[in-house]
Amino acid sequence: MRAWAALLCALVALGGCEKPDPRPSITVQRIFGDCRAHVPKFGKATLNPNGECEIITELLDRFEAENPDIRLNINTVAWPGYNQLSAQLAADDAPDLVTMHMAVIPDYQTHGLLMPMGQGLAKAGVAPDAFTPAARRAVTINNEVYGLPFDTWTQLFHINMNLFGQAGLVRNGEPILPRNAQELLTQARQFHKATGKPYFVQSIVNEKAAYARNLYTYLLAQNEIVFPEPNRIRVNTSKAREIVALFRQIYAEDLTTRDQDYAAATTAFINGEGGVYIVGTWMIGTFDTEAALAGRPLYHGYRVKPYPRLFGQVDPAFVDGHAWVMPRKKRTPAQEAATYRLLKFLSQHEAEWTRSGHLSSMQAVADDPKWRAGPHRRDLVAITNYGQGLPTDVQRQFAIQEMLSDELAAAITGLKPIDEALGDAETRINDMLANLS
Amino acid sequence: MTERRGWTHLLFVLPFLAVYLWLLVYPLLTGVSLSLHRANLFGGATFIGLENYTRLFRDATFRQALGNTVLFVALCVPVLVTVALALALALNRAGRFAAALRSIVFASSVLSVTVMTIVWRQVLTVDGGLLSHVAQGVGARPLAFLSDPHLVLPSLVLITVWWSLGLPMILFLSALQQIPRSVYEAAALDRATPWSVFRHVTLPALTPALLLVIAYECALQFQLFGQPQLLTQGGPNGASRPMVLYIYETGFNHWDVGYAAAASQILFALILVVALVPQLARRLWGRA
Repeated sequence: MRAWAALLCALVALGGCEKPDPRPSITVQRIFGDCRAHVPKFGKATLNPNGECEIITELLDRFEAENPDIRLNINTVAWPGYNQLSAQLAADDAPDLVTMHMAVIPDYQTHGLLMPMGQGLAKAGVAPDAFTPAARRAVTINNEVYGLPFDTWTQLFHINMNLFGQAGLVRNGEPILPRNAQELLTQARQFHKATGKPYFVQSIVNEKAAYARNLYTYLLAQNEIVFPEPNRIRVNTSKAREIVALFRQIYAEDLTTRDQDYAAATTAFINGEGGVYIVGTWMIGTFDTEAALAGRPLYHGYRVKPYPRLFGQVDPAFVDGHAWVMPRKKRTPAQEAATYRLLKFLSQHEAEWTRSGHLSSMQAVADDPKWRAGPHRRDLVAITNYGQGLPTDVQRQFAIQEMLSDELAAAITGLKPIDEALGDAETRINDMLANLS
Repeated sequence: MTERRGWTHLLFVLPFLAVYLWLLVYPLLTGVSLSLHRANLFGGATFIGLENYTRLFRDATFRQALGNTVLFVALCVPVLVTVALALALALNRAGRFAAALRSIVFASSVLSVTVMTIVWRQVLTVDGGLLSHVAQGVGARPLAFLSDPHLVLPSLVLITVWWSLGLPMILFLSALQQIPRSVYEAAALDRATPWSVFRHVTLPALTPALLLVIAYECALQFQLFGQPQLLTQGGPNGASRPMVLYIYETGFNHWDVGYAAAASQILFALILVVALVPQLARRLWGRA
């Protein structure tokens, strides 16, 4: 018995004696989901090849294959991943490279939790001059660069052209979109009458972002100042009430799908249950793939357009973007060099990433005629010029977005009067901003 | 001599005491101290006295979360205790069938909250859920169990009862098996009805277990978090946001950890009071 126990102990001890790996090891923490089930290691995606998850998985595999001298660990976290990151930073266990929305960078930068990257990027051959102006503004704080921009995204009108055709809303192969709020209601009623389906597909249940982005979009289009000061929001205004009232009317008249969460709304659009799905650039690749499949409701019938000009006199688009940031932590010179090598690789392959539908944050890519000739780019590329984000000195933009969406959802679904919901949103957000430390 | 023996006894409890002080008392005191500061996740704490507490009671979202939590406990615990007791009484018998049923009832408790909520989402969601299909099958309009503010909390109660039945049932079963057979035989000789047996024999003998289960379940259900976080994210319009979800959002999404710590202290006090009430009631009852 003792001999067996000794043997067991020896085996366990031997098992622990792994040969040390001399390669520098770096950990990348990313969102975009896990799709290893249909993206074989070092292979091509067998499903949805233009999805965010599929593209980033392939890109990181390729980096690993081309750089065998670096040990790459991938940590995939659920969107948006900031609670995990905050916990990791508090425990001094941060990854080397993290995906971060540009709007969130100020939260971490203010507390000295991110490494300045300008010098390192320049040394790696990625000069900040290469970024589009909007992307450069978003990652630059106090003249220092805190992230490598990876894309610019916005919410769009994704259109089922087959249903639009049935509803008589197609002219010369182009969808007829409304030019004001009243026209939107008229067209939505016409669509509903002709197809028996709602005009809009919307994620309504558990939706923490879309409503706030809609409101920002149409307020910014009217030159409204949403944040008169960095720690004060102002949304209980007549213009905001008018925008929310439109979405309330759409809901009340059953011109939108109801009771769907994000996954259900996406499936509903793919299955042809409505005319327009308001969702971000990141779904373009997936919907294009669907549109190429014979027999599917979107077959040869998918277009995507910027938000129509329903309010105000300028083209509306609230934009944000994904960036790669380096949390502050101790790294060996070899790890730091490996991290910058990966950053350079990612910047060089940004065009592939934008197959997902995202807009480029690299000027050279955005200016490339070949890139501009890609699907839908002609319709969308101007957004990189006129798209607006929130001021970079506004902190907790994700928390603000969640609280605002909470209240807007209550107003739109009729659970709260509009002015009460907007007033509550202001109170909740301003209370949080007044108590930042 | 007695004093020396007392010291040696203390040595036996010292390891437990050390771990208890380190892992429970110290964090509790740190939490109390944090609740008196304006602080974020990464330091920057400023002492502000009781301001976080006064701010909490001005906060409509917190008041709503407090109300939701109390209502949830008030709905969930009586149902849970009654159903668990009924099941324990029904399954307190020998035989393979009863054993199989006991295992089946207990099986749901083994599931993680994530698995359990995925299962229930497939049942309750309007868009393609099991109950939605049933409703459509009989020509009725599906109910929005997870997005109707009047249905969402009862739905969470249903899910929680299904998930949590196992442990209270086992506790009741173990208490039932402690009751001497002779008492039931005496009652049978006296021709007592089943209700009289339950009322005058079983229930008094079960009282300590009953109080334990009530106190335990109250403390547990006040900490409701996973089900609403995964199924409803507190919506619609905050109708299913419990206190722990509020604390989580405040601490991790807003980084307002001092404020979240103040809300945690209130939750702690609430749990302490509710857990002690059954014991106090029993003592008072005993004196009367």
